[in-house]
Amino acid sequence: MKRLDHKGYYFIAPFFVIFLVFNIYPVLLTFYYTFTHYEGYGKPEFIGLANYARILTDSYFLEAFVNTWKIWGLNFALQLGIALFLAALFSDLRFRIKGLGFFRAVFYLPNLITISSVAILFSIMLDWQYGSINQFLMKIGLIAEPINWLNSPFASQASVSLILTWMWFGYTFIVLMAGVSGISKEYYEAALIDGANRIQTFFYITLPLLKPIMLYVLITSLIGGLQLFDLPMLLTDGLGSPDGALNTMVLYLYNQAFRYNNYGYAATIAYMLFLITVVFSAITFKSMYREAKGEKAAAKEEKRKIKAAKKRGNTNAQGKKVA
Amino acid sequence: MKKMLGMVLTLVLLAGLIAGCSNSASSTTEKGKDSDVLKVWSFTDELKEPIKTFEEKNGVKVELTIIPIADYPTKLKPVLESGVGAPDVFTGEIAFLKQWINRDYWENLSADPYNVDEWSDDYVPYVFDLGKDNEGNVKALSWQTTPGGIFYRRSIAKEVLGTDDPAEVGSMMSSWEKMYEVGDKLKAEGYRLFPDEGSVRWFSKSEDPQPWVNENDELIMTQAKLDYFDQAKELREKDYTAFAPEWSPSWFASMNGPVAYNGGWEEVDEKASGDKTEVFSYALPTWGLHSVLKPNAEETAGDWAVTTGPAPYFWGGTWLGVYSGSKNKDLAFEFVKMMTHDEEFLTDWAKETGDVLSYLPVTNKIKDDFSEEFLGGQNNYTFFLEEAKKIEPGIVTEYDQQIDTLLGSKVSEYVEGKLTKEEAVQEFYKAVKNAYPNIKTP
Repeated sequence: MKRLDHKGYYFIAPFFVIFLVFNIYPVLLTFYYTFTHYEGYGKPEFIGLANYARILTDSYFLEAFVNTWKIWGLNFALQLGIALFLAALFSDLRFRIKGLGFFRAVFYLPNLITISSVAILFSIMLDWQYGSINQFLMKIGLIAEPINWLNSPFASQASVSLILTWMWFGYTFIVLMAGVSGISKEYYEAALIDGANRIQTFFYITLPLLKPIMLYVLITSLIGGLQLFDLPMLLTDGLGSPDGALNTMVLYLYNQAFRYNNYGYAATIAYMLFLITVVFSAITFKSMYREAKGEKAAAKEEKRKIKAAKKRGNTNAQGKKVA
Repeated sequence: MKKMLGMVLTLVLLAGLIAGCSNSASSTTEKGKDSDVLKVWSFTDELKEPIKTFEEKNGVKVELTIIPIADYPTKLKPVLESGVGAPDVFTGEIAFLKQWINRDYWENLSADPYNVDEWSDDYVPYVFDLGKDNEGNVKALSWQTTPGGIFYRRSIAKEVLGTDDPAEVGSMMSSWEKMYEVGDKLKAEGYRLFPDEGSVRWFSKSEDPQPWVNENDELIMTQAKLDYFDQAKELREKDYTAFAPEWSPSWFASMNGPVAYNGGWEEVDEKASGDKTEVFSYALPTWGLHSVLKPNAEETAGDWAVTTGPAPYFWGGTWLGVYSGSKNKDLAFEFVKMMTHDEEFLTDWAKETGDVLSYLPVTNKIKDDFSEEFLGGQNNYTFFLEEAKKIEPGIVTEYDQQIDTLLGSKVSEYVEGKLTKEEAVQEFYKAVKNAYPNIKTP
């Protein structure tokens, strides 16, 4: 029997050392801080579960939680809608749109701009009196008076959602296109021959087969969305104005830590955020997985039908999984 | 696509490489450092010129690190706590001055060998007092004083008020009622008293000078501060403001000439250019003249003057001191001394920059020679020095900046009619309690 060589461990050690120092240690230290009152000066003072008791009754945190969901929800619905529409368009055999590579790059471009530049750009464009968006809308006569976008809770949340959609639909589109290109062309050809129209093709072929990819998009977007911070921070005063509408969970965390020096409480917010992310990711995953299971059952059913059809002499058994 | 991807990847790698290079470059200079190098941290480039002078005078090298003010306390704190890579001298803005002074970050300058208490008569009293901790030890000094006033347009004053003399205009604005009377006259002629409601916050704050938080950690809500809600609302309702909040594009634009009132888009539409207005005055401190008005009011230069409002106030200010963990305290103190207690240097500095100094031996000597062209020849130096004498130093606490911000946002929600006054006040208390759970609110 050969003795195992330990040399390999030396090569992977740097990663683990760095991971330990820069990931595990801060995470554990933050956990310790959740039980303390710590202002960043001197020594943390142990206060037990007081921070957790506070966060459960904190109306500002609840507000931040609701705001984050609102902003992310609208953004995700739009982003997925646009990306799915484009994916359907580009995968359509009858349209045969050329230059997929070109469009893919163009759609992805907004994502290359750093988010702080985007925020500054939009805060200038959304300016009440001098912003180009208001000037444009006035000019074409759509509105009679300039809208103070960043002063109305709804308009400011919608603005953030739309900016995020603009930034991310290209990314989602690329990911979905990758999924679409993984779907065998034969299904579409078969559908074409069978006389399925575009809407049927989309709902019965593209959408079901994209489910795993959409699950990935949903979960990554959810995790990113719950951490929404930069845009609300930079678009208004950094306090969540107007009327706390842009107060998101991470912005609240940031302000508690770096504006008000409540590091212990900020650490608690971080752990709550972690908990929320885990719970909602799990729910999403579970529900999608169950649907997928249900789909399998349906597919089995379909197989049986196809077999039965074969017996009857119909040799077209291509739609194995098409439900 | 592959080619493009390759290019992007190359660029990313290159960027990483460049970043890596610059990092290693800075770390080598750090290694090459020895105790002859004095490290100074600040949040503006103000100290650049003085540092050159100091280097020439003493034959040493000074390394200035400038960190934008938004990140300054966050970056400085861990360094001061751990002492690793800490500066020998660092500056503090009024917003975080009190936080740092009552911790042992700055060396106690009242003790041997510095004994700066002997200098106490040389400074504007409030500036010297603000550098003291709770026990009365001086931790930081400042070369400047930053009282405020009301900067107004001479031509408008002449047209509407019949005079542009600062003393006379000042007496017309010496109380809230009088100031609003002026606002009424201005409005009748199509002008606006202030750019926005926030302009009057300083007067409400110093009308009844009380700290935000007392020694028992209780929030003190004075009647003057409660009145501020109504005063701001009145400004809006009587239409004395031009909807140009501080630091917004319209605020800067309004200094330079007529602005479109309630909507700048009219500038594009030539037909609808009737709704323009001009702002009469701005509540700004000493530095507001050099860093706000001068760069933004080129068209109106020379048409300005400065006078007093309903109450004296001050806004901002930079202090500096020696880091208590510094290994180079003598040299560090030399630098602080040059910045705050060196007649020759400070005379040159004041003449060059127009900065209003807190060091009386120099100001007494030079104050009468100032004549500011931008202010139509007015001597703003003597004006501000007089204002500085009226300031109450005891009202500054470490919470001021954040509580002021919270108050401002609740006041504007009330002004805009989103909340009633009672709701706004309660929301304000709630926000303060949330930010600082240790503070007891009424």
